[in-house]
Amino acid sequence: MNILETKNLYKQYKQGEISVNALSGINIQIPEKAFTALLGPSGSGKSTLLNIFGLIDQPTQGKLYFCGKDITAASEKELTAIRRHQLGFIFQGFNLVPVMTVFDNVEYPLTLLGLDKKTRYERVNLMLDRVGISQFKKHLPDQISGGQKQRVAIARALITKPKLVIADEPTANLDTKTATGIIDLMYQMHQDFGTSFIIATHDERMSSHCHNSYQLHDGVLQ
Amino acid sequence: MKWLKLAIKNVLRNRRRALVTVLITAVGVSAILIGGGFANFTYVSLKEMAARSSGHLIVAHKNYFDKEENTPMEFGLEEYRALAKTLKSDSDVRYAIPRIDFSGLISNGEKSTIFMGSGVDAKYEFKVKGPFLVIESGNVLSKREKEDDPRVMLGTDLAKSLNAKVNDSLTLMSTTVDGGLNAIDVTVQGIFSTGTPEVDKRSIIVNINTAQSLLVTNKVSSIALHLRDTETTFNKYDEFSAQYPELSWETWLDQAFFYTGVKNLYNRIFGLLGLIIAMMVFFSIYNTVNMSVVERTREIGTLRAIGTYASEITRNFILEGLVIGVIGAVTGITIAALTSLGLSLADIQMPPPPGQTNGYPLIIDIPANLYLIAVAMSLFICILAAWLSSYKAAKKPIVGALSHV
Repeated sequence: MNILETKNLYKQYKQGEISVNALSGINIQIPEKAFTALLGPSGSGKSTLLNIFGLIDQPTQGKLYFCGKDITAASEKELTAIRRHQLGFIFQGFNLVPVMTVFDNVEYPLTLLGLDKKTRYERVNLMLDRVGISQFKKHLPDQISGGQKQRVAIARALITKPKLVIADEPTANLDTKTATGIIDLMYQMHQDFGTSFIIATHDERMSSHCHNSYQLHDGVLQ
Repeated sequence: MKWLKLAIKNVLRNRRRALVTVLITAVGVSAILIGGGFANFTYVSLKEMAARSSGHLIVAHKNYFDKEENTPMEFGLEEYRALAKTLKSDSDVRYAIPRIDFSGLISNGEKSTIFMGSGVDAKYEFKVKGPFLVIESGNVLSKREKEDDPRVMLGTDLAKSLNAKVNDSLTLMSTTVDGGLNAIDVTVQGIFSTGTPEVDKRSIIVNINTAQSLLVTNKVSSIALHLRDTETTFNKYDEFSAQYPELSWETWLDQAFFYTGVKNLYNRIFGLLGLIIAMMVFFSIYNTVNMSVVERTREIGTLRAIGTYASEITRNFILEGLVIGVIGAVTGITIAALTSLGLSLADIQMPPPPGQTNGYPLIIDIPANLYLIAVAMSLFICILAAWLSSYKAAKKPIVGALSHV
């Protein structure tokens, strides 16, 4: 079964009076438990496609299926519910909440799920151990390094055991060594949890781990 | 609890801004409490003065309040002693005091001027007047006054006009109930001030017997009922007016024109000030939350992306507004309580109000319900301001919010 599927997907942006096609006729199938890379130069449309896959943007035309269900016309409330329960996000800029500790940042999605305190505590500690930052759990994001922040972001993305994790340039802000560690960690998490990953990246090392790679150019799948 | 902790942390992100907002809220709450407390003290004092002056309830002949008398005491009460005794037997009634209202000329032999007189029962009248009748010189009337030596009390300005002092002899002239003219000589027992120059220029007080002798009557104008508790006034009014439909009844409020006027004026003044303060607090909180929302747009986008509903985002900002509101309200209450205490210890005197000669102490008497109103108002304003400033941001497209710089 495909976790994501698109049919003849278009996305147009208005720039003043002019319409710009960010995506043109995308047909793609992302299988479950796949580690997938979206490749392409800047402006190729990979972030736009990733946003649509992450259900935070909507196509202008075409169909989008999540776990076989057509969600093209789903309401914002329905999309939020899917994101809460079945999706995880890893951002290029980490996007951790600065007033929350590492522990609190990872715990946040579980709080949204309404889990009790004990369960949250156990699951967060286990996850922090898995990503190797349990010693920083009481630190604020400003008190840890970029690589550690991205590990927190990975932990936050995976804590709800989602079906799919969307990662937008997760290694772009990191040095080579740290980036390699993050790629290995994501792949390990994918192996351990069986979670599907779709990663927009420029990083060639990332694509070497991926089962599938899709190349985008000017909004068209190559 | 988790959300509240998060709200507190978010409020503390920019401590200086939060402090200024809390202080503005606190100043707003304390200003409302202090202004309201001052107005309340004024209302309570004027209410007390009015009730002590006229009585809580006034009972008279059924035409007394509505029609003009052709001759003095045309609408007087005849069997007033029995009626007063019956009314006094009610457990809620402290005193039932008969009164005669009359007018005429007062003369010192050289100069005559008009007066407005009150014939009173000296045994009780001065007890109920209490601090609201200031004796400038001499004494109040005696309940054991000799029949052949009737006494009079003069308002300060009237005494000044007649150049009269205590123990001076004056003559009262008035129309009798038959339309004839009568006069009696009286001795000045005391000089008083009501604090209102217009009243003090014309007022005299005599014993009820003296007034009856002058008017040649055995009636009284009305009976003033002084209740044990002012709050029972309107219940007792309903009860007595149903019990004695042949008589006419009024409450102290019907006769308290000064109280009503001042209350209407103060309500408008303090209402307008309260509105301005509320607006000030509203815009301050709106500005604070709005700045916070703009600074955290990217964070809002992130939280929305990971599954937070827009309503939950708004709720978190409302909680932040509430945190500011609660801390501001508690601080405001503390400031108001300390200011109120400080003012009462400082014994500051207010200047006399328009039309009055006596000042009064500046006391802030904050009723419990005003605390509740001020706190509820500040919390409502905080919630409204936070909701208005965060609602739009929470609904903003996530992609746009995430790319916000």
